[in-house]
This record gives sequence, structure tokens and C-alpha cells, in this order.
Amino acid sequence: MKRILTLVLALVLVASLSVCAFADYPDKAINLIVPYGPGGTTDLTARAIANGMSNFLDVTINVNNVAGAGGSVGTLQVENGKNDGYTILANGMLALTTMPVNGYSEKTYRDWDIWLATYAPNAIVVPANSPYQTIVDLVEDMKARPGEVTFGTAGIGSGGHFGAETMKAIAGADYSHITYAGGGPAVTGILAGEVDVCPQLLAETKDLIIAGDLRCLAVLSEDDIEIAEGVVCPSITKYYPEEAAAYVPMGEVTGIAVPKGLDESILAKLDEAFAYAAVQPEVADFCNLKSFTLMPMTREESQTFLDSFTSKACYLLWDAEACANDPADFGIER
Amino acid sequence: MQYVLQAFQTALEPYNILVMILATGAGLLMGMLPGLSATMAIALLTGLTYNFPTQTALIALIGVYVGAISGGCQSAILINIPGTPASAATALDGHPIAKRGEGGLGIFLATTASMCGTLISVIFVLSFTPVLTKFALKFASWEFFLIAIFGILICGQLTSNGNAVKGWISGILGLIVSMVGLDVVDTFPRFSYGNVNLMGGIQLIPVMIGLFGFPEIVKAFKRGNNSDAAPMSSFNMKKGWALVKEHWWPIIRSGIIGVCVGIIPGVGEDVGGWLSYWTSKNTSKDPDSFGKGNELGVISAETGNNSCIGGAIIPVLSLAVPGSAPAAVLLAAFYMHGYRPGPLLMSETPDFIYRVGIYLALAAIVMWALALVISRVSVRILSLDKRILMPIIYVLCVIGSYLINYNLFDVKVMFVFGLVGIALSNFEFPASPFLLGVILGSMADQNLRRGLRLSKGSLLPMLQRPICIVFLVVNILMILSQTGIFKPLMAKLRKTK
Repeated sequence: MKRILTLVLALVLVASLSVCAFADYPDKAINLIVPYGPGGTTDLTARAIANGMSNFLDVTINVNNVAGAGGSVGTLQVENGKNDGYTILANGMLALTTMPVNGYSEKTYRDWDIWLATYAPNAIVVPANSPYQTIVDLVEDMKARPGEVTFGTAGIGSGGHFGAETMKAIAGADYSHITYAGGGPAVTGILAGEVDVCPQLLAETKDLIIAGDLRCLAVLSEDDIEIAEGVVCPSITKYYPEEAAAYVPMGEVTGIAVPKGLDESILAKLDEAFAYAAVQPEVADFCNLKSFTLMPMTREESQTFLDSFTSKACYLLWDAEACANDPADFGIER
Repeated sequence: MQYVLQAFQTALEPYNILVMILATGAGLLMGMLPGLSATMAIALLTGLTYNFPTQTALIALIGVYVGAISGGCQSAILINIPGTPASAATALDGHPIAKRGEGGLGIFLATTASMCGTLISVIFVLSFTPVLTKFALKFASWEFFLIAIFGILICGQLTSNGNAVKGWISGILGLIVSMVGLDVVDTFPRFSYGNVNLMGGIQLIPVMIGLFGFPEIVKAFKRGNNSDAAPMSSFNMKKGWALVKEHWWPIIRSGIIGVCVGIIPGVGEDVGGWLSYWTSKNTSKDPDSFGKGNELGVISAETGNNSCIGGAIIPVLSLAVPGSAPAAVLLAAFYMHGYRPGPLLMSETPDFIYRVGIYLALAAIVMWALALVISRVSVRILSLDKRILMPIIYVLCVIGSYLINYNLFDVKVMFVFGLVGIALSNFEFPASPFLLGVILGSMADQNLRRGLRLSKGSLLPMLQRPICIVFLVVNILMILSQTGIFKPLMAKLRKTK
């Protein structure tokens, strides 16, 4: 009896507290957790959007970088923290949606309310002096020497790894995966000629392609991308329309997220703030600079988008034997 | 040339001068406090300056960078707790100088050396960026592995009063600690026992605070250690300048070493200080005086770590690949303000590189003046009763650890390594190699394994790369010099000379 009474009392207290909180959200600073170090693409995207949302909501948004374990530490901090709308997450969806199959969390993307903002495609690049002139040269060589061609990426589960796995699926032949401590070191690795191919995001190698230090064989988006006047990165679908169809568009999708369970009035506020921030010119400028596609989505649209995205990402890892758990265990269908 | 003038013009606007003074001052203070690192100072300011005019924001960011790297020396010298990992080498000779009662002199030397280091690196940024970028790309996995080992070996040898093996044991312990967490090569969780925080790895700053802070705090309360205040002799600036003048060559040498270390991606301010210190000690006529308050030690270490700033900025500007952790944050800030560092920088915004250079140089000078003003007050810390001072430091240690990631786990890590630090200091193992082991461990591990994977398990490539061979020979010589076979040989060599 006593226990029930305590419980009821606690519930009443919580309820009254949350009623106060709903009254006019937000009435204090919001913490936006970025689960990577400052300076990465997730961080930069998050800051650009946070600035717009902060102006709209008229409160400060503090961007906190909580790095570690491939984005898991920061994400779990939000997942397990107090869910009151004052702690929100900005993350890349490759990391967030593969957390359950990697064994970092029991929760899937369906347990989050997500607003997606940008898409950044992978670019398959080689050094300027590489023998590969086109993506066909590369694929043929992968077929001729399975497991020999070296791909340098930012690590297991990074955007580059998904790019490399996509190439493996298209060529039907394995590659040698050389992992680096991050996107920067991977790019240095390809510049130094240590690896044959770098399949990281286009944003990371864009300027080096324009400058002529690297050559872009293909981008894993549906269409060609003109990154500077006269410099066009051809889409993989040009060369391998059938083989690539199941994987394209491949790349990183970034957005903000809160664990499910927030009051609808808070969510509505966040909806508006996000929609406002996503159309601010500084966000567009930033996306242009980085060759991101700005594709702001509502919560519902994001979930639909993530259904197919998560399936692609999780099964690429699972088929490559690069993750611990079967995606099917979490209701993720192929 | 017109770009240089433009940069001066912008920097000398009254508003910008004010911003530079404030930012550099804030950087100095953050550098002084253990736990508030240069990386964090820049990250914080990046958020704050988001809506500033571009040039003003640049000035603020560069000011805070220079300030934070330089500020670390004050706490290293005065209380033997380095404010940032970069100033660990400074404490070695700096603290004995302060104990001697010449804290003012120590800080003057460190600060002046810091300024010289930054200025030397600016010259390199402005004149040799393209050449040095090529040099940076000569370093691949094997070279990184050997450099990491080299760093730990020299640090162990330097800090252990003649018994290098003790230093190396400490270094290896650090290497082991750095293995905790998701490994870089296969993302396999090592020694994490299913704990997400451990999976994220052991953070560097809490380790540093624990290792260096705790022993000092405990020491202050040991019985029989009540010699409250160190003696203080007044400091004479003339003497300081004379010393700086006398050591002009080591300053330039340390500056060049620092720039080179800074350029190499992934090796930063921490190693720069140690390497130039090591060079100065080994070329000195009186190597035994190092570690006991040799002025040259302080000068070399501080010139070395500050000239890394310019070095680390070089690959940021030319490749958009940062050479150190603070430089990585700086890169992000450049992007945010619409600049596009990388190969296109010179064609798109040719003035940018000059602006960065000039702002760096001015920040160095402002830092120098401010640091000397602050040191007037801060040297008085020496005359405080340690039993009053240390509890305050203790609180700062806890706050500093928490602030890294806003995560209480880091505070626990700090406690654990505080105990480790006390154990190390009781058994007279140096703490610095331990710290450097933690810093460089992941670099050594991932590069060795990456190299082996690239060569399919063969060690041969190590012998086919010129830079590798140099490091390999130096490393082997250093280890052999501590074994029984080598010592009589060296003695013989000296005799025949």
C-alpha cells in the first residue's frame, strides 16, 4: 500500500512538473549533444541548424561535443538522460540506425523522433597518379584481384565503410579494408598514396578533387554532381545502373533527434523551429560549400526515409560480417 | 605585401584589439587551469563567436589558441601541475626554478620562449607552406608508429634521473591504458567489459589531472612537509633578457623542431615540447643539470610546444587536414566563417594565409605582455600556504575533469589515475612518460597494425622507407644505450676521443 502511495505521489509530482514544463517551452537554454569531436561534418551541420533554431525559439542552444565510441557515448547520454526537450541529439544516421546491430543500444530509430536535414553522398576517389581512370577500371581490377585492392576509410561503420561495401557489392569481389582514426587521416592516407581508393564522403575530398590532387571515379548518388565549374563527378548509376540500383543513394544523412515520449506541444515547437532553421541562408550556404543536399524532412517523412535507409545500412554491415547482431532481431527487414 | 598591410589594418582596429586582448587573456587563464585545455578553449569560443564578424572571430580564435598553449607553463612552473598536456616538459625544469625562488624568472623565460616559438612558426607558415605540406605527406603508417615509440622512449629517458628503464616502464603502463576502448582498426571493444564509457576510451585530460594533481595535493599534507612557502627573490628582467639572448640558437633550433612536429598530422604540441627538450639536453655540455632547474630546459620546451601552433596550422591551410587536436577545432571554425582551407585556399582567398600569420604573430606579442602582467599576481601562489592552496586546486581538478565531456565518469577516471599517480610518485616512477604513453598509444597501435595489414604482415616496408630507417636506428640505439653491452662501449668511445 505504502509503495503504491509513494508511486502515486511521485507520479503526481512528475505530472505537475511536466505541466509546468509544457507551459511555455522552451524557457531555458537547450543542450544539443553532438556525439563527435568539434569540426566534423555532423558538428558543423548541427551548429548551423542550432543557430537557426536558437533564433526561432529565442533561447540559447549550447552545442556540447560528447565524443567517444563511434558516437555511442553521446547518443546514449541523450537516450538515458532526462527527456524533457532540453537535451537533444544531432547525429549521422549511419551511426544512429546501426547502434542496435552493433550492440551499443537496444533502441532502434523507431524509438526516436527524428528530423533529417542533409544528405552527403560517398565519392570513390583515387590519387591523381592512380592507374584507375574510370570506375570501370577499378571494378575490373577488384574482380581480377579479389581482396587485394586497398580501401582507406574512417573505420568500421563510418560513411566510407558503407561506400566501400557498396563497391564490393557492385563488383561482386572483396577488397582490403584499411581503417584510419577518422576522415582526415583517411584523406591523408590516400594523398600519401598509402591506399588505392578512398570511398569517404564527397564533402571530405571535394576541394582536393577540384584542385586535381585526387580524381573522383564516381559518386554514390542518383545523379551527377557538379562540384565546381567544369568539374563533374559522375554518378555510379551511369556505369552500373542495375548493380547499383539497390544501394544508391548511399551516403551520410544527418539530422537532430529526441527520444520518443515528449509531449506533443514540445514536439510541435521543435517541428516549427527545425523547419525555420533549415531554410536559413547560412544553412544553404554551408550545404553548398560542402556539396550536401539540403533535404529537410518532417518527423513522419524522416521515419519513412529511415525505413529503407536503415535496412540498407544494417544489412550491408551484417552481410559484411561487420556487426554483432542480426538486424532481423530488431524488426529491421531486408 | 598588400595583404599583410590589410591584415595589420584589420587587427589594429580598436574593437579588434580589445577582442584580441580578451581572447588571449581568456586563453591564458584556461591554459593555466589544469583540465581546461587549448582544444576546449577554442571549441568554446567557436560557439561564442558564431555571430561575430569574420575577421573579429578569427582574431579571437587565434588569440585563444596561442594563449591556451602558452598559459599551461605557469601552473607547470608554479605548482608542478601542467595546465595542458603540452607543458608537461616545462614542469621538469620550471618547477625547480620556482622552488629556488625564481618563479618570476621561470615564467618570464617560458613566456618569452613561447612568443619566440610562435613567431618562428609564423615565418614558416608565411614562407614554406607548400614545401612543408609535401613533407607532411611523406609520413605514413610506419613512420607514425616509429615516431610514437620514439616519443615515449625520449620522454622516459628524460624524466627518470638516469634510470631510463623506470621511465619506459611508466611509458608502457600508459600505452596499456590507451588500449582501453574501441580500437581504431577494427572497432573492437577492448578492456571495456560492456561499459559504454570505457568503450569510449580513457580521456586524456582526467588522466593528466589525476597523475600530476593528486601527488602534489597529497604532498602538501604530508607530515614534516611544512616548509610553507618557497623563498622568493625579486625578478630582474635584465637577467631574463640576457638569458634569452645567450640561448638564441637553442630557441631557433627548438622552433624548427616544433614546426616540423606540428606539421605531422596527429602529432602535436605535446610531443613538440619533449623533442626540443631532448635535443637541447643531448647537445648540452652539461646534460646533468637538466631536470634540476636549468633555464635552457624551460626555454626549449616552451619554444618547442608553441612553434607547433604554426606547424599544425600549415596542413590545415593547405590540405584542410589538421596537425593537432586544437588545430582540428580551428579548422571547423574556419569553415563556419565561410573560409575554405585546403588546396583551393590560395586561389579563392589569397589574403587568408597572411591574415592568419599576422594574427598569430600579434597574438604572440599580446600573450607575452599579458602573461607577464598575470605572472606578477600568479607568482604569489608560491608564497601561499600549500595547505590552503591545494584544496582549491583539488576542486579545480574535479571541475576540470567533469567539463571535458560533461560526464561524471571522467571524474571517476581522474580519481583512479590520481591514485596511480600517487603510487608512481612514491616509487619514483616519472608520470610524464605515462601521460605521453596515453597520448601516443593509440597512434602507435593503429599505425603498426595498419602498416602490417597493408604489407600483409611483412615488416620489410619499415626498412625500405628512408624516414623509417632514421627513426628505427635512433630507437634501437636509445634502447641499447641502457643495456649492459652498450655502456662499456660508449665509455671506450669517449676515451678514444
